[in-house]
Formats: sequence, structure tokens, C-alpha cells
Amino acid sequence: MHEAFHAGPGKVTRQQGTAMKKSALATLAACLAAMAGCANYEPPKAWEKGNLAKPEMTMGGDALEQRFEQHIYTSKENASGGYGVGGGGCGCN
Amino acid sequence: MSARAEAQADDLGFGFGAMACECEIRIAGLGRKKAEPMAREAIDEVRRIESKFSRYRDASVVSRINAAAGSGQPVEVDVETADLLDFAAQLHASSGGLFDITSGMLRQAWDFKAGRKPADGQLAQLLPRVGWNKLRWQRRGPGQVGRIELPMAGMELDFGGFGKEYAADRAATLLQSRGVRHGMVNLGGDIRLIGPRPDGRPWVLGVQHPRHERSLIARIDLADGALATSGDYERFFEHDGVRYCHVLDPRSGMPVSHWQSVSVVAPACLAAGALTTIAMLLQGDALAFLQSQNVGYLAVDAQGAIHRHEIWQRGESAAVSP
Amino acid sequence: MQLKNAPFGGLVLAAMALPGVWHVSAHAENAPEQGLVSLRFLNYQDSQPGWKRVTVNSPSFLLAAPLGRDWGLEATATVDHVSGATPRFHSNVSGASTMDDERKAGDLKVTRYFQRASVSLGGAYSTEHDYLSRAFSLAGTLASDDNNTTWNAGFGHAGDKIDPTDGGYDGNVADQRKRTNDFIVGVTQAVTGDDLVQANLTHSRSTGYLNDPYKALDARPSERRQTALLLRWNHHFAGDGSTLRSSYRAYNDSWQVKASTLQLEWVKPVGGGVSLTPLLRYYTQSAASFYADPVYDTTLGAPFPVGWDANAYNSLDQRLSAFGAFTLGLKLQWAVDELWTFDLKGEAYQQRGEWRAGGEGSKGLEPFKARMVQVGISRKF
Repeated sequence: MHEAFHAGPGKVTRQQGTAMKKSALATLAACLAAMAGCANYEPPKAWEKGNLAKPEMTMGGDALEQRFEQHIYTSKENASGGYGVGGGGCGCN
Repeated sequence: MSARAEAQADDLGFGFGAMACECEIRIAGLGRKKAEPMAREAIDEVRRIESKFSRYRDASVVSRINAAAGSGQPVEVDVETADLLDFAAQLHASSGGLFDITSGMLRQAWDFKAGRKPADGQLAQLLPRVGWNKLRWQRRGPGQVGRIELPMAGMELDFGGFGKEYAADRAATLLQSRGVRHGMVNLGGDIRLIGPRPDGRPWVLGVQHPRHERSLIARIDLADGALATSGDYERFFEHDGVRYCHVLDPRSGMPVSHWQSVSVVAPACLAAGALTTIAMLLQGDALAFLQSQNVGYLAVDAQGAIHRHEIWQRGESAAVSP
Repeated sequence: MQLKNAPFGGLVLAAMALPGVWHVSAHAENAPEQGLVSLRFLNYQDSQPGWKRVTVNSPSFLLAAPLGRDWGLEATATVDHVSGATPRFHSNVSGASTMDDERKAGDLKVTRYFQRASVSLGGAYSTEHDYLSRAFSLAGTLASDDNNTTWNAGFGHAGDKIDPTDGGYDGNVADQRKRTNDFIVGVTQAVTGDDLVQANLTHSRSTGYLNDPYKALDARPSERRQTALLLRWNHHFAGDGSTLRSSYRAYNDSWQVKASTLQLEWVKPVGGGVSLTPLLRYYTQSAASFYADPVYDTTLGAPFPVGWDANAYNSLDQRLSAFGAFTLGLKLQWAVDELWTFDLKGEAYQQRGEWRAGGEGSKGLEPFKARMVQVGISRKF
């Protein structure tokens, strides 16, 4: 196995990794600020949220369907994440 | 029996008498063993409110306030009473002074059972004791206790204009907090839903026809919220073809006559009931007022014509879930 | 009961402000009131021009049930029947690695619901003849007083064991380990009665054996850090009752892969409890820093890439190349009655180097195609 420590272009330095995380957090914070900072913004009252309970409005959607989708894309593409944690792996080829 | 049939079989009505009317707690989707103790709790809450705010119970808060009228002594009231008095003040202001909880005593001049109009000068004698502006009501701030004083002997407070509706809301939210998701609280036709039917469909509520006791004038599908109705048929008598009902204009002591009935749909029964009463009192100006409050309504005028404003049905309210 | 976006009048709101008059439900976190049983079947077929590659047939099962008033349980089980072949390197057909395998996986999650919060503990297990994975997760949610904002956070750990058939391409890979820790933090916000948005940030770190043992000359770093930011927005249209579900995910990892995903779905009710959902997804990624194009050393020949160094990281895996991919899909869902729901979904997927956005796609690879068909049936109880 190639255990040799290879400090080549394949290795993102610690600082780069942290900067990347920081910019992602900044984007997250900006999104929230944008949502909350609109003038005259009034969050919905309890009796206005009937539509939010509809199945197509929930973030999760069909659990099994979402699992299949994530599994397929994670196997055939490089990106993953954003949805949850602790899903376990597979030898998907 | 399939699970679905079982669920439908679990639609339990617990009837009881309170506030001078027939009442029912309806709980669906739960077995009797679970539903019955919760219904009992809800009924106790209705009776608690009746005892606390009834003019007819000597120990009630309202009776204590009324007994101190003209004594120069203010009566201290708790937060719950203070909240209701603040609400009454808001109703008075928003209705141009027509909704007035000091006007209940004008009913002394009318005998609806015997069908007798006031004696000459009787109203003129009573009217000086009517007027929310005449009493002294103060409160340090929201969530605090308060002090109320009726400066003239004979002045009386009457929570009848919203007591029943308030009790319906309190009973329903109590059941909600106990985990009941489907059912309703019906206090003499003032209804507050706890939640839709167990299968998610709305309940179908009927509005009584103001002239035909055994008929309905409309049906409303409701999954959440409340329905209340005020009408000229609840307590009345007719004389020479003129109907005299129990809803009295506080300025004259005379009954209103513009509407046979007004029904309102609102999230809370307290709101719905207060609005129906104000609508009856506002008479010709009622519809503009109800429109300004942005609620659905159904009003039947003196000729029996129906005026309705879009009542929008929607599903249950919900919390945000990721 | 509210008339078209106008707020209730002051008296209505005043009444609702009294304690005990208008009361939010006891459990903000939606402890499930009903149970759900779901059966779903996936048929997957991928290919490249002239060559059918992998076929997967996957039945899966889900059970979600409330346990009393405060607890919920969710369990799934899946069997993947995988057969076919994948290239040893790039999109090269010769000497392809064939497989006929069955992967069994299951997971279990238990959730405890509180007034405005919830805590979940989950475990997952997956086994196939050359790969075993065990994972657990711990997650929590916390909602604001008005239930319009829900925060979530979670942590997961997975331990995998890799034992490739016949030792893999090199013949000497056996009993390898891989460990992954991942984290998530996010927020979901009800912006209006018709808009729900979510932002999730995940970060994971895997260490150990990260190579693909069946691919030629595959030598990847023994560590990988991945970060993803997912933004989702569901918008309900009052006019026709349809819902637009959009999502964007930005991804970045320590192998220099940057990827973006954009997905749009439009749920359109067409009456009779039926809804149609067309779907469009676009994905683009840059190549991993150690991915080598199919340009081979003239002396060594394929699969050795030009300038190949036996001591350096290297991969010839198409999945680490730079490409863009489109998915077009359509789902038909039928809510038969209050309890039963049926759905059918078909998707067509294609990957091409030249579809990459934001840079040059990798050259020399065949377009990769896949088509997926799913059938599902659910019953509430």
C-alpha cells in the first residue's frame, strides 16, 4: 500500500481546508441573515402553516426514495453529503 | 374489524350541561379508556370558567366585582380575569362602544320568557349605570394582576358575551396539550376544533337556520379553528309582528334588528364569538367591520337574505420539521 | 380561514394572544401520530455506448412507527442484487471486472421527542461479499418557540472492512479498514406559510483504505476530508397547489474535487389524488488532483498514464474525472385514499466530460449513462 507521505498537489494544506470551511460557514450565515433581515418580515403564525405540513413540502420527502437517490449518486459521482450523518458505506462499484 | 373501521368507531361524544346550554366534548381516534379521563379534565375546565365568571354564582369573581359596585372599593383581580377585561376594553373600543360588558344589566328591563317590554322610564333609569368608560380599570402591565371598580351602585359586569367562547378555547387547547389531535369542543353551538377527523378530513359543521329550528342554513367544512354564531332567535319574543331579541344596544337598551344571525369562522372561538356579537350590534355596519377583521362570515339579514364572505378551508396547522 | 394573504384583524389576534386560547401543539418536533410501512423497488441499469455495464435490482422496506407519545422508531432493510461489469480503468471495456453480488443492509433509528427538541440514535449495517460497514449516528433538533426555526446537529461514525475478491486488481489487498467520522449542522426555517428553506453544512473525514481495489493503478490518499453545503427551498403555489422543490449543493474535498449540484422538482397535483413530478438535476465536478487522463505512456502502454509514478497518488476511475451530468426524471404519485399511496418514478442520467461547468471536462472517456425505475407502495397505520 502506498503509505508514503506525499506532499504533492494532491494534498490540501490544513489552512486551505479551514479557509474552505470558513467560507462555507459564512455562506450559511449570510443565507440566514438574508432571510431574517428583510424589512417588514413577519414570520408565519401557527394557523398559517397548514401548507407546510403537506408531504411534498417537507424537506425529507419519501425516505426510501431519497435513500436510493443518494446511494446511486454517491456511487457514480464524487460528491456526497448535505443530507445526514452516519449512513455507513458500501463497496459500490 | 379493520384498523380503519376501528379508528372510525373511536369517535366519542361526552355530553354535559354547562353555561345554560347543551355541551359536548368530542374526541376521535382514541379509545374510550384514554379519551374519557381527558374529556373529564376538559369538562372540569369549562365548569371552572363558568364558576369563576358567572353572574349567578355568589363566589364568582364577577359577583364579587358587582357586589362592590358603588362601595368605593376597587376589587383586585387575577391575571386571567385581567386579560379578559383588557380584551373587553379592546372590544369596546373597536366596536365604537357598542360591545359593552356593563350593558348586561339592561336585560332586567326585558322579560323574554313572559314576552314583556320594559315599563315606561325603566330603561331611562337603568341607562346611566351602563358604560365601560364609567368604570375604573387599571393594570400595571401585561401579565400582571389588576384592579377594577364600579363606581355606581347597580352597575354590573357581565362576561356572557364571551365567557362560553373562552371556555371552548380553553377546553380545546387543554385537550391538545394532552395529545388529542382530533375532535372538537361544542358549547351550545359555539365550537372550537381540536383537530380534523382522524383520517385528516375536515369536520362538517352546521349553522342553524335562524327561523327554522330544525334546519340548517349552511354547512361549513372545518379542519381547525372555531365557529360561533349570534342570532335573534336565542332569546326573544314577538309583539305585533316585531321581534325583540336579547342583543341590546347599550345606548338605548333596545334590541338590535338588522340581522337574524351572524356566524364567524376564526382561529379562536373567543374571537369568533366576540365578532358575531359586535356584528349584531353594529347592524348595518357589520359587514364592513367583519371584512376589516379578515374573517370568514355568514350573515342572514332581517329579510332572510344571506351575505357570505369567502370562508377558506385549510388543513391543520403544523410545526416546522427538517 | 384567512382570506388570501391578508392578516387577521386586531381583535382576532388579541383573542389569540390570551393564554390558553390559541395553543401550539405540545410536540413541536412532530412526534409521529401515525405509523408508515413502505415497500420500494429499484431497477437500475447503467451503460456506456455499446456496452451494458451494471444492473441492480433492489427491493427495500421501511417501517416508521410511534412508540407511545414521546418516542418514534424508523427501520429500513434493503437488498441490492448487483450484476454486470465495470471498467478496470477509464471506460475501457477489455478485462472489465465482473460482479454478481448481493448487498444486504439495514438500519434502525430511535427518536425521543421533547417539547421543542428531539434526539435520535441510529445504527446502520451493510454487508456484501467483499465489504462490511457498520455505523452509528447521534443527532438532535431544537425548535424555536414559534416553531418557525429548527436547528439540527449530528455526528456519525462508520467503520468499514474491505476484503476484495481475489485480492482485487493487485491480488494482494485483503482485510483493509476504513473509518469515517461525519458531522452535520443545519437550520430549517419557515419563511412564509408557503415557503420552507433549509441549509445544512456537513463535514466528514475518512481515513484508512480509500482506494478502489478493483481498478488498475488505484492509489489514493489514506485520508479524505469532505465538506458540503446544501441549500433547499420548497415553495408552495397557492394558485394550483403545486410545489417547487429546489436544492443546490456546493461540495469541496481534500482531493481537490469541487462539485455543484442543482436540482429542481415540480410536484403538480392533477386531481384524483394523483400528482406528477418532473425532475431536472444538473451536476458538475472537477477532477481529483491525482486523476490521470486516458493518455498512456508509450513505453508501458495502457493502463499506465503518461508520467506515472509508482510512489504517487493515482486514479483512473471515471468517477474522479471532471464531468457534468444531467438527470431527467418523472414521478407519478397516487394517493389512493387516506392510507395507501403508490408511486412510479423513472429517471435518465448521463455523464459527459464536455458537460462540465466552470472548466475543462476530462477527455477521452465514454459518456456514462444510467436509467433508474422505481416503484413504491406505502400504507399508513
